[in-house]
Amino acid sequence: MTILLGILEEGFVYAIMALGVYITYKILDFPDLSVDGTFPLGGAVAASLLCKGMNPWLTLIVSFLAGAIAGIGTGLIHVKLKVRDLLSGIIMMTALYSVNLKIAGKANLPIFSRETIFENEWLESFLPEGAKRYVTVMFLFLILLAGKLALDAYLKTRSGYLLRAAGDNEILVTSLAKDKGFVKITGLAIANAFAALAGCVYVQMNGFFEISTGTGTIVIGLASVIIGTSLFKNVSFIKPTTAVIAGSLLYKWCVSRAIRFGLPSNDLKLVTSVLFLIILVFSERKRRGKKNA
Amino acid sequence: MKSCSQKGLRKRSLALLGAVLMMGTAVLSGCAKKSEGATLKIGIGQFAEHGSLDNCRNGFIEGLKEAGYIEGENITIYYENAQTDGGTASQIVDNFLEKGCSLICGIATPMAQSAYSAAKKQDVPVIFTAVTDPIAAELANADGTPAGNVTGTSDKLPVQMQLEMIREVMPDADTIGILYCTSEVNSISAIEEYKEAAGDYGFTIIENGIQTTADIPLAADGLMKQVDCITNLTDNTVVSCLPIVLEKATEAGIPVFGSEVEQVKIGCLGAVGLDYYSLGIQTGKMAAQVLKGEKKAEEIPFEVIEEAAFYGNTAVAKKLGITIPDSLIESAAQVFDTIEQ
Repeated sequence: MTILLGILEEGFVYAIMALGVYITYKILDFPDLSVDGTFPLGGAVAASLLCKGMNPWLTLIVSFLAGAIAGIGTGLIHVKLKVRDLLSGIIMMTALYSVNLKIAGKANLPIFSRETIFENEWLESFLPEGAKRYVTVMFLFLILLAGKLALDAYLKTRSGYLLRAAGDNEILVTSLAKDKGFVKITGLAIANAFAALAGCVYVQMNGFFEISTGTGTIVIGLASVIIGTSLFKNVSFIKPTTAVIAGSLLYKWCVSRAIRFGLPSNDLKLVTSVLFLIILVFSERKRRGKKNA
Repeated sequence: MKSCSQKGLRKRSLALLGAVLMMGTAVLSGCAKKSEGATLKIGIGQFAEHGSLDNCRNGFIEGLKEAGYIEGENITIYYENAQTDGGTASQIVDNFLEKGCSLICGIATPMAQSAYSAAKKQDVPVIFTAVTDPIAAELANADGTPAGNVTGTSDKLPVQMQLEMIREVMPDADTIGILYCTSEVNSISAIEEYKEAAGDYGFTIIENGIQTTADIPLAADGLMKQVDCITNLTDNTVVSCLPIVLEKATEAGIPVFGSEVEQVKIGCLGAVGLDYYSLGIQTGKMAAQVLKGEKKAEEIPFEVIEEAAFYGNTAVAKKLGITIPDSLIESAAQVFDTIEQ
């Protein structure tokens, strides 16, 4: 039960971030490494604001906006300064390390004693003792659901259609007299906003911000997106966003099983890398297949 | 988008293959390791892998043994290392809880915080060690009482004693340089303490913050030009690249003081250091108290180890043309006359 709750909690948090990676990697075809910086950015913003006594729910909005700004930064580096996509992400990710340290003030900022969205007086006042274990997973689910529905709705708007067009066929966007650079920046802003939102929630769940939490975020994101969208590719009634969430849960389940069955955590990075390689080779083939078709 | 069904099928089977491979690895490695039979289960989570933390862990197991809890006889110990990854750390703790551990030991600050965060939902006691500042980590309240069902030992650096020792070895020195990693919160609090105390011994502290091990050579070069000697913290990033710093310091003729015995072995002139093994033993005994039910973790305030001792290296002193005063040599816990490569 504990492990199931753990998988759901972690899976839901990273699914929020994976929704963002879905936009960049799958829709825009942009391998955006900035999420390794924006995930902890959301956490740093949340931890420092909570220490200042801000309402925990408001920190979600502030973190979301902070992530969007960082995403716009990556977009501007790529579109305006003509830096290659991968490099733009790396530049932003590296810069954010220092920015995150500045925001949090130090590398490890605990918020055990602060009110969070999962633990506050208002909740304590009416929740029975037994329900407390399930509060976190319930709230996470609600936040994730809200994010997913909002994203689904957005992709159906005019701007959302342009976003999808920008990934598939840039010429189409230009022929509609729209600036494809602007569309890319919008996509990156939304994607990184989701990553920062996930980081904000993650920190509130764990009770402390730690500068190292961002490392490898992109791997989890890509794995979730690719596992999810590949598995449910032919199931037409499942939306890609739902598939991504399933992918995130499946990925966390696999990692947790691996640890559970005694895989030494020293080997975890190797397993992750091999997995990542399989995923990349597989998605590369698919991309080539798409061009041939 | 449109592809014939055969191609779609192949793609799907590839994805499935990926998932199966992952599970396969998990199951295979599961067959390799199994330990059953003991009654009490204890999980030890360690945040990083290096000498002092390993000593902590071995000491912890020894401390439990001295109190009557012998691994494989009446307790089962699970050990996992997070390799400085926060995500892995929380997964490790979830896993310990699922296995039904009655106590979790968290070694180093982030691991202790992960353990406390996850274990408090089920009221499983957490014992930490190698946490430099439990109050800043919010594992303890400002008055030193536990923040929850969590207690342990702190490895606060004996800053005053170190400064006193440096003054004795180098009566004419004015400036002390410190290299540290900006992402290590323990180092930052140690530097503040150094700065506060340095004036009392007539020193000025010049610090240089780095972000990764790759920054060390340049940062060390810069620092050497400004200082009379260098002192080390227990900064994991810097300590793991200490040979580079030592090499550059030897070239410049600047002595480097360490913070623990392992650093003196490999070429620091001297150190007033903690014995991490006995820190571990002390922690193990606290854990035993909790396991026996004598006291709850939330009733025991955290303890700071006080037994610091001098370690010196005469081979280094000879190389630098410095004499370590006899009074220090006589009081030393250990003096080395070679430099371990």
